[in-house]
Amino acid sequence: MSEGIRVARLEEIPEGEGIAIDKAVTGTADNVALLRDTDGSVWALDDTCTHEDASLADGFVEDGYVECPLHASRFCLKNGEVQGLPATRGTCAHRVEVRDGEVYLYPNTSGGGA
Amino acid sequence: MKPTTTTALKRPPEMTRSTDVSGLVDAEGGLLDRAVFTDLELYRQELRRVFAPSWLFLAHTDQFRKPGDFFTTYMGEDPVIVTLDKDRRIRAYLNSCRHRGARVCRADYGSTRNFTCTYHGWSYDLAGSLVSVPNRAGYPESFDTADWGLAEVPHVETYHGLIFGTWNPEPVALRESLGDMAWYMDAMLDHDDAGTVVVGGVHKWVLEGNWKLAAEQFATDWYHVNMSHASALMLLAPPGKGPKDEIVHRTGRQYAGPNGHGAGFPVHPRNRFDAETVHKWTDYDALRARLGDARVEGPLTNGHATVFPNFSYLPVNGSIRVWHPKGPDRMEVWAWTIVDAAMPPEVREAQRLYNLRTFGPSGIFEQDDGENWSEVQAVAHGVITNSIPLNYQMGLGSEREDGRYPGTTSELYSDAAGRSFYAHWRTLMNTPAWHEEVGR
Repeated sequence: MSEGIRVARLEEIPEGEGIAIDKAVTGTADNVALLRDTDGSVWALDDTCTHEDASLADGFVEDGYVECPLHASRFCLKNGEVQGLPATRGTCAHRVEVRDGEVYLYPNTSGGGA
Repeated sequence: MKPTTTTALKRPPEMTRSTDVSGLVDAEGGLLDRAVFTDLELYRQELRRVFAPSWLFLAHTDQFRKPGDFFTTYMGEDPVIVTLDKDRRIRAYLNSCRHRGARVCRADYGSTRNFTCTYHGWSYDLAGSLVSVPNRAGYPESFDTADWGLAEVPHVETYHGLIFGTWNPEPVALRESLGDMAWYMDAMLDHDDAGTVVVGGVHKWVLEGNWKLAAEQFATDWYHVNMSHASALMLLAPPGKGPKDEIVHRTGRQYAGPNGHGAGFPVHPRNRFDAETVHKWTDYDALRARLGDARVEGPLTNGHATVFPNFSYLPVNGSIRVWHPKGPDRMEVWAWTIVDAAMPPEVREAQRLYNLRTFGPSGIFEQDDGENWSEVQAVAHGVITNSIPLNYQMGLGSEREDGRYPGTTSELYSDAAGRSFYAHWRTLMNTPAWHEEVGR
């Protein structure tokens, strides 16, 4: 696992948006949202909002946070901490690395972007 | 009993009162009772029978580039969201949550994934389906989100970039409803295959005055130009001179359509009323080849128009606008500037500034018009004033097929399109709409 799992090309993720990677690929409990911040950096969180059934990959990514597209709960891209209601629980963050334009995921590790 | 959808309710018919307006509109004799501008019950009937069944202007296609782009507006007093769904189809929904009725989109325009009510968080996708209900477990088993999607405007159609919608479940198609009016609209919208685009945002302002005062004027009224806009015409004349006599006294035609649409324009081989930069860029030979001499010498180079009931435009200024009704005494004007997509940046900018200075919210012409409508409305509630009818007799009997301009036309200085506007209004006001039960 030291290589990580190659899950996407960086260019596939527009800045300010995200894409969801199926758990069949990642081997995680939930799908994983790859989220690209407005500064170009990329991060990974569990995809399903902890409040209601919504995909954070469909959310709005800006200035270090992703906002859920349904009810506007925000999560920290670095560590998955929830920032306020209506969600009350944080989500799981995974470490990612970018090498040669490819995004590598390290599932179930503590978070960290690239 | 299964708790279910709105069909379990039945509004008592006596709550909906309708008046026969035949005694208020004499379109044949050119008389109009001022109650049509002031009466609250007539206004409510108008929302039910004129606005609800008619094709209403919503937006310009250029406002929607990718799925999730949206624009919020009104159909009559009903708030609607216009958006591009995931299949890139333009759709429109009533902007009111099915739960407690708040708007599910509070922004003027933007781009989104979902429309979420800020009250309790019911959330709808771009197809209007209810996709999330917080605390869902609290609802009975019979509760099915499929029953509680946003109310969708059943018919949305476009004509050369203009998007119209209607609540009428079985409308006449938009193009058919426009009839000969489409020929006049093409003089603004169909200069070439590239069509038109919007520049800048939407200007919105509030005026005291019934919406029909503005709509009928844009349909029928060139008469006011030399008096109301005298100062503006002086300003636009060459330095040290007044407007040319041939401009002040120019003749022209006025289209009076059977569906209430109207358009008027001076006619002259060298007719023009545009900005110098736009004029120099314009290829009049190409326009004559595409649209014919009659249009280039008339509605392409000057004039005014209304698509019944409340969409109007000024072909040369690039101004398109809606007169949103806000009670009998007030309207909101929402105005866009459109330009030919083919225009280079400096020509677009010249057109934008020209429209802003003439018919923007503080434009030298627009200010005159708003003053007139508010003036008419301000005194119309007087008991005696309100009982004395208004005159729409100019050009009475002049309507004919002139062989050059399509449909029924009259003189430039005429109330013909005003009479046909109110004749159609009367027909709709006296016809129960689909949503009114038969025999009510």
